[in-house]
Order: sequence, then structure tokens, then C-alpha cells
Amino acid sequence: MSGPASAPAAYQHGIYPRSEAVVAATRDLERGRATADLVDGAYRADREAFLEAQRVAGLDFLSDGLLRWQDLFRPLVMGSEGLEARVLVRWFDNNSFYRAPEMAAAPSLREVPPWVLEDGIPEPRVATLPSPYLFSRVTLGGGRPDDLMLGLARDVLAPAVARMAGTGHRLFHLEEPWIPYAGIDEGSWPAFERAVGLVRDAAEGAAVVLHAYYGDVAPHADRLRRLPVDAVGIDFVGTGLDALPAPWGTGLVAGCLDGRSSVMEDPAAVAAFVRRAADRLEPTALYVSSASELELAGPEVAPRKLAVLGEVARRLREEAG
Amino acid sequence: MSAVREAEAAVLTRPLLTHELGSLGKPNWRVRAVAGAPIEDRDLEDARAWGERLGVEGQEELLDLLKQAPLERTGKDEVKRWSSRYGVRFLETVGLDVVYDGEQQRSEMYQWAVAHAEGFEARGSVRAFDNKYYSKAAVTGPIGLREPYHNEEFAFVSEVARAELKVPITGAYTIADWSFDERYFTDTDLGTPGRAASRREARRAFILDVARDLIRPNLEALIGLGAGWLQIDEPGGSTDPAELDLFAESFNESVRGLEAVFSTHLCFSDYDLFFPGIEAMTQCRQFAVGFANYDSRELGTRTEDRPGYRVLPKFRDLPYRPVLGVGVLDIHTDFIEPPELVRDRVLHSVEVFEDPTRIHVIPDCGLRTRSWEVAFGKLRNLVTGVELAKGQLGL
Repeated sequence: MSGPASAPAAYQHGIYPRSEAVVAATRDLERGRATADLVDGAYRADREAFLEAQRVAGLDFLSDGLLRWQDLFRPLVMGSEGLEARVLVRWFDNNSFYRAPEMAAAPSLREVPPWVLEDGIPEPRVATLPSPYLFSRVTLGGGRPDDLMLGLARDVLAPAVARMAGTGHRLFHLEEPWIPYAGIDEGSWPAFERAVGLVRDAAEGAAVVLHAYYGDVAPHADRLRRLPVDAVGIDFVGTGLDALPAPWGTGLVAGCLDGRSSVMEDPAAVAAFVRRAADRLEPTALYVSSASELELAGPEVAPRKLAVLGEVARRLREEAG
Repeated sequence: MSAVREAEAAVLTRPLLTHELGSLGKPNWRVRAVAGAPIEDRDLEDARAWGERLGVEGQEELLDLLKQAPLERTGKDEVKRWSSRYGVRFLETVGLDVVYDGEQQRSEMYQWAVAHAEGFEARGSVRAFDNKYYSKAAVTGPIGLREPYHNEEFAFVSEVARAELKVPITGAYTIADWSFDERYFTDTDLGTPGRAASRREARRAFILDVARDLIRPNLEALIGLGAGWLQIDEPGGSTDPAELDLFAESFNESVRGLEAVFSTHLCFSDYDLFFPGIEAMTQCRQFAVGFANYDSRELGTRTEDRPGYRVLPKFRDLPYRPVLGVGVLDIHTDFIEPPELVRDRVLHSVEVFEDPTRIHVIPDCGLRTRSWEVAFGKLRNLVTGVELAKGQLGL
């Protein structure tokens, strides 16, 4: 859990971009010009570099950057019975694609792939997983979406969270771009609340946050803040602060850096914005992170964004004394 | 319209015309030679075997050249042209009606364009999917055309090709959409009033500058060299439903008043989002669209058998009655579609359109992520499947 709202906790969620060395190594492997050992070495170097960047930035929860994840769903699909990945689908409004999970039978987690648990990352760790709503909406052939959502939450996400909570993950960040981007039927909210509750119950005391991004979160904010999570993340690149209800009534993840832009934010201006958000919304806990994952910023831009995030957190801590 | 353009239009309305869509994978001998690496025996054998299979004239010259690797600049350029020649013969040998060269002389559809443009700077690799990436750039200065960047390629392919040609060129919206913007909108203050509106205006200016100052001069240059059919590739075209008007405006701005046949290629999107936005693209004679990626592999021609093609009626009902290039090959898997599956996808499309002259048959997208062996098998079956469909339709 983060401390009081005035002392924010900072972390980086989602998939982090692979370095040019990993890009070259994986490309060479596919062309038969590199060995799997060489690729493993490149990944290890990337993980160390990302870990060091997080340390230098002073982040409070550490991530492995999901560097080996082919997309947000793939390790869960690979580790589950009843799911497979085949069809490429555009990742919202990006030049990036995921392989849609496809249901062949009732899905059930068999194992969390060992490389997801990443023994080398110090605690406390942050894990990123798909929100049950997102997971159900991207899955093909799953019948009634809300039933699928509950099944995925109960039999895939919750067991994964329980397994990861036992390996030092103290914060679970659930990615939810579907709702701001495409909306949600009013009738799906109760099932969504139950699904999120199943995930939270499996977290064994670790914090669970649900992060809404890729669009204006304001139309859904009132329902989101009543979900059984410790904090709700807001994409402030797409959402006006003044459109959010106050007091917020739960924790807030201030998504305050544009993960799809190469223009660098001014740390002082961002810190001032987050402070204003905290003053207005009075969240029970405050986290700062990027508005969306940094993968699409690429390996040249993302480390600079990460440094800005660290500087924003440092300023906010200083202001909070 | 001139007689030349009328002839081009006649090609366009040939029933169940088949054509390629853009890139093929680059052979290892081409990649290694251009990278300045020595050529291995297996690469030489690959060049020899494919040269023989495709009937590439004078392939011994290529083998002699490759044996001299690592090569200097002129040798590398020569290898690229050989690769281009192989690409043309590859697409002709499988039996497509309209071909190009598999974009063998280009680096990649986006990177090639921005590398020849003024105003862009490289910003590293960004993943497209799995282990596939593209080199992303940022717009940092005034946009301009350093030099027409398809002229030499088109002149070469025109000399080599026996089949009819269609030139693929990356479109303005996609170039803007795949770039970072460090020039038109740089406000990072989340509290700025009216930020969203300012961002959209800046975005429009960026996209239209690419259309006017980069794409249009290229099109003019190609038309001047005799290009009759220009396919504007817009895989980014439907990524943001709120910007479809900008996409359509950029297409119109790119081609307005130019005399040639213009088509566009769209892929891997929720195609429902295109409507009604693309109704404004009245100069677009053909939409080449990927569908197989979303479809079942089971045979059948009924609507319920072909879930990937459910949006066809919307393209059929466009008021300016464009031709639809129907994607029948999933380019992301090594699965070789049987001719009967291609046939059924084609028959279903014809049934929906009730007019085979408004249907062309194509792969979903470029086949660059597949091996040549797989690409060959897929395209060969596409052609065979079309023949089966023609037989059934009495064409």
C-alpha cells in the first residue's frame, strides 16, 4: 500500500520497450543467425538496465518490465487450459497488435510461466495484468461476455494473482483501456464488480489498482471509484481533472505522463498538476505513474519518461515533507 | 479521362482480378549482402534455387556478385535490384494479374518514406507484434520531400515486369499516425484549457502537411514516369474512429486533380469504424482490405460460414461504387489456405456484391513476415482458388 495521500508512491506499469539489442537478437534468432543463449543474455541485460533505471528514479514498486511478454495476455493464455492465441488484433488506436485469446474450452490457469515470476526482481514488486473486463472483451469465442469475465477472473486471473502474491508482488496493476475507449454497458457493472472482487480476494493483502486509460475516463469515473480496489488509475492525458467527482473516495493512480508521446514533460509542471489533483480529489492513497504503458514510447524515449516520473515523485515527496 | 487512364480503369474492373499487396520477405542473401556481411553457401544455394524456380534471367550474374561479398555501395544497390527482379518474377510465377516487386528495394514502408523526407528524426524501434518492430521517427521540422523516393524503383520494375503494375506508396495518414509529433503539438501541461481541441487542430495540420508536401509530389513524379495505378497504403487509416474525417481528407488532398487510378489498402482494424467516414473518398477506385485474419478456416459460402467478411455490404453500398480487393490470405500464419477455402471466400464476396467486376482477390496484407516458401504456397492457392471460383461463376 502507498502511504498517506500526501506522500505518493511511484511505479511504472505495463510492458516496457525492449532495447535495440533485444530487437536485433530476437530478429537474428528468427533468421537463424543467433542462439537462444544470446537472446537470453540480451533480455537479462535489458532487465538489469530497467531495474537500475527504476532504482535511480527512486520508484517505490519495482517491475521486470514484462520484457518477455509478447502482449498483455500471452503468458496467461500460454499458462491456461482452454485458451489459445492466434488472430492478430489492433491494440486500440495504436500501430501495435496483440494475439486475441481464443476460447477452445472453459479457461483454467495451469501455471504462471516461471519467467513471469522473475526471481531476480527485488521486493516490493508491482505486477501488471489485464483487467477482467478487458480480458473478457478481447477474448474470442467465449459466449456471454459477462459470464466469461467472471470465469476468467475466478479461474485464470485470481489463481495467477495468488501465485504472484507469494513471490513478492505487493501491488497488482490491472490494465483497463477498454472502458474509456469503447465503453461498457450499464448492465455489466455488477459482474465487473464481482470479477474485480475475485481478483482482489486472491491478492493476500497486496494492493490492487484498476487503471483506466486510452480515453476520457470521466463518464465512467463514478462507477470505477466504487469498485472493490485500493485505487483507480486515471489517464490524465485524456481526462480533464475538473470532470472527476470529488471527493474521490478511494486511492488514485495519477497517470500523468503521456506514454505515446516523445515530448518530455516538465517535472515541475507535472508535480504541480498531481498536487492539484490530490488537493481536489482527496484520494485515500496516491500513486503516480504514466498514463499508459511506455512500450509504445520505444527504447529511446521511455527511459527519459521514467526519469521524469522519478523526478515528479521526488518533488511531490519533498513538498509533502 | 485520357485513353491511358481509361485503359487503367478497364484493368481495375476486370472480374476477380488478382494482385499482390506490397511487401515480400527479403531473402537472406539480400539482407546479408546489403548489411555488408559475407554470404554463406546456403544463401547462394537459396538464390540459385529460387532463381531457377522463378526463371530469373541471368541469375549467374547475381551469384557471381554475391560471391564477392562483402560489397561496396554500388554492389549493394545491384543486389537490391536483383532482389527486386526476383520479387517481380515471384509474383508473376504464382500467376497474379497485377504485380510489383515485393518492395525489395525499400527498407520498410514507413521507414523508407521518412528516410527520404525532410523534417523527421529517428526515435528507435517500436514493437508492432510479437518480435516484429518498426523504426519510429518524430516530426521535428518543416516537412518536405528530399527526393521522389519511388522513381528509380518504378523505372526498374517497369523494365523488368511482364505483368501489369500497381505501385504501392505509404499514405499520409499512416506516416503521421506512426510518427511522434515534436513539432505541431508540444503542450504537455495537462491543465491547459481546450487542450484536446488544440491537439486535434495540430494533428490535422500535421497530416495534411504530409499529404501535400510529401505524398502528393511523389505521386506526381510517379505519374510523370507513367505509373497508372497507385495504391496508397493506409494500415493506420482506421486506428482512431474520431479521425476518419482526417484520413479521408488526407487521401483527397494527396490525389486531388491528379490523373491516375488511386486505390487504398486498409488492414487489421474494426472496419465498421470506416463508415460513413470513407464516403468522402470519392477518388478512391478500389479498397484493398484484409479479412481472412478474422475468418473461419471451414469451407462454406453462406454469411454464417464467413464471419470475417460480415462488413462486405457496407463496402458494397458506398455511393461511388468502388471495387473491393478482398483479402483471402491470413498473412500472420504459415497456414496455407486451400484453394477451396479461397474459392468459398471469393464466391461469398461475389454473392454479397452481386457483381464480380467489383471484386478483386488479394492477400490480407504484405507477406513480408512469411518465408518465400510459405508465401509462394499461399499465393499459388489464391490464384487456383480464383480459377475455381471463376469456373463456378462461368467467368
